[in-house]
Amino acid sequence: MIEAVLLEGSLETGLFDGGFKLVPALTLAAMLALFLGVGWFFRVAAVDDMWVAGRSIGSIENGMAIAANWMSVAAYLGVASLVAFLGYFGLAYVVGWTTGYFILLIFMAAQFRRFGKYTAPDFVGDRYYSDLGRAIAASTTLLIAFVYIIAQGNGLGLMAQYIFGVPYEVGVVLLMAITIGYVALSGMLGATKNMTLQYVILIGAFLLGLYATGWSQGWSTVLPFVEYGAQSTEIATEIDRQFTEPFQDAGYYHWVALCVSLIAGTCGLPHVLVRFYTADNERNARWATVWGLFFTLLLFMGTTAYAAFGTLLYEENVGPYTEMTGTQSDTLVVLTAFLADLPEWLVGIVAAGAIAAGLATTAGLFISASSAAAHDIYTNLYKENATQREQLIVGRLTILVLGAVVTYLALDPPALIAEVVGMSFALAGTVLFPVFFLGLWWEDATREGAIAGMLVGLFFGFGSIVNEVLPQYVDIGRDVIVPAFATVVPATSSSLVGVPAVMLTIVVVSRFTEDPPEDVKRLVRQCHSPEPMEKMQSAEDVATDGGTPADD
Amino acid sequence: MTREQSSIETDGGTDASVTGRRSESVDYLDAKINLFDPATPFMRDHLRLIWALFGVWVLFTFGPVTATFLATETMTGTHVLGFQLHYFLTALGSPIGALVLCAVYAWQRDRLDAKYGISHETESATESGTAVAADGGERQ
Repeated sequence: MIEAVLLEGSLETGLFDGGFKLVPALTLAAMLALFLGVGWFFRVAAVDDMWVAGRSIGSIENGMAIAANWMSVAAYLGVASLVAFLGYFGLAYVVGWTTGYFILLIFMAAQFRRFGKYTAPDFVGDRYYSDLGRAIAASTTLLIAFVYIIAQGNGLGLMAQYIFGVPYEVGVVLLMAITIGYVALSGMLGATKNMTLQYVILIGAFLLGLYATGWSQGWSTVLPFVEYGAQSTEIATEIDRQFTEPFQDAGYYHWVALCVSLIAGTCGLPHVLVRFYTADNERNARWATVWGLFFTLLLFMGTTAYAAFGTLLYEENVGPYTEMTGTQSDTLVVLTAFLADLPEWLVGIVAAGAIAAGLATTAGLFISASSAAAHDIYTNLYKENATQREQLIVGRLTILVLGAVVTYLALDPPALIAEVVGMSFALAGTVLFPVFFLGLWWEDATREGAIAGMLVGLFFGFGSIVNEVLPQYVDIGRDVIVPAFATVVPATSSSLVGVPAVMLTIVVVSRFTEDPPEDVKRLVRQCHSPEPMEKMQSAEDVATDGGTPADD
Repeated sequence: MTREQSSIETDGGTDASVTGRRSESVDYLDAKINLFDPATPFMRDHLRLIWALFGVWVLFTFGPVTATFLATETMTGTHVLGFQLHYFLTALGSPIGALVLCAVYAWQRDRLDAKYGISHETESATESGTAVAADGGERQ
């Protein structure tokens, strides 16, 4: 399954034939020019604005930004790929990435917002009164962004291959360079405005391909999301059971483990959490989450329809769908439109939409990473009195270095797009989710508990990734380093084992170490107080500046 | 609920109600935070809501796959809208269920806010009318 990415199948789809395509290329150029133009229009210089957009965005707009941030190349191309490739097991991605929002909403969104910290490392550093904790959280944020962006580079490269007719490697380098230049210039306020715009453009492109395919083949009319039932069942009953057969590619345990990991990852991903600060007030933050899920569903439910349509078209035009290669399935969304004989400009728009999806998410990740480096590692640990200018320089350098390394690795990606993204989610879910959750809901969680917990989390979360990915780059004579570990704790699904282990560690260690200081406890309590806070106020201001008159 | 909501929103921002609430309010900074042991009436109500919806969520999220695991033949043999039942419940049921649950939670939280006299208007009072307009419009 993993090696399949690199093998060229014996069956050719013809998707990458035809060389440079002018109209799709112009569409892409127009999109990018629009993004950069809007980014320039909302350009900012202040560090505060760069990270949280001054907290002034309404809930529908913010919901679109949440959705756009979510809708990476993994969601746009990768999920359809896995549903087609792995059948029922692939649905765990759909379920995990959508239902996770609810946990985020009921347990964390409002509390996190009240805490009022820009980044995950800031939260850990302040809640657990520890610079070491901050450093571990910052490093984890960097690792997550790093793994995540590799998958984006992979998808961007494949799309460039279709549009420009260039080799995959050239496409990766070209588009990553464009993304990096874009992020460094526009900053978060520009990027936020862009993300709303990007959501509209990419969901439009995505649905255009789906609707056009459904219409042209006579399979669907106004709601393809629920109209592909006949096609899905036809593939399963008349061609090959594999398409919907439960537990064929992975058992019940793996299904649930993957789903739980993606849910925990949803709650632990810094670049999603940061969105809660940009809402006007708490109520808007809550409704923004509802809107965010709605906007995300349009995409995820479309991916399963794409998987059914694409598989059927592949069967009709190319050959047995069970012989589809990894690369072919990773381009399935575009391939579907291509095989449905839609006009080149239309297929081009679908491909350009995938690039927009990759750009939007990669931009958010680069910002998270640069803020972790500039704000949490450089300023807080190394140079307390760093000027804004210095912070900006460090942040931008981080983006450049990270971009270069990630581009190099994306040239030879370790797994299918959505699988790589799944790994970064599992990492976030295992390492960060427990410290966020207990930090917000249990005031007695201590510094020592959090540090021990995160280290245990890194063992499971990052250990499982190294266990499965390293042998692909370093020859050790077998596929995984410790096969038994990979069976119980798969790289994409480490949270089912990891989260309980980390939470237990935090609770036990906290019990045996000194209670957190009183001001930290007050900080946690303020996060749960129902009383509204001023727009730019954080829990810290209220809890320490005597914001409540009832104090004695 | 829209009626009572809007009536509260309109007077929620006045000074009288704010100071009135403040003087008789619980001191939330002295209330211990523990997920299983809520210390204030608001937290009790809030946690009851959270756990009830969480229970439904577990059913929606892991119910279809578990049912498929336990009764494979029935689930794959039954058809709904052309889909096999297990596929329908997993691919469509769980995600849509989560959306409904999110909306129910946000709506119930608005009601809790109303019950405890919490207004978010004061938060964005410094902003122009646009924030209020966006506030009212989004609930439809």
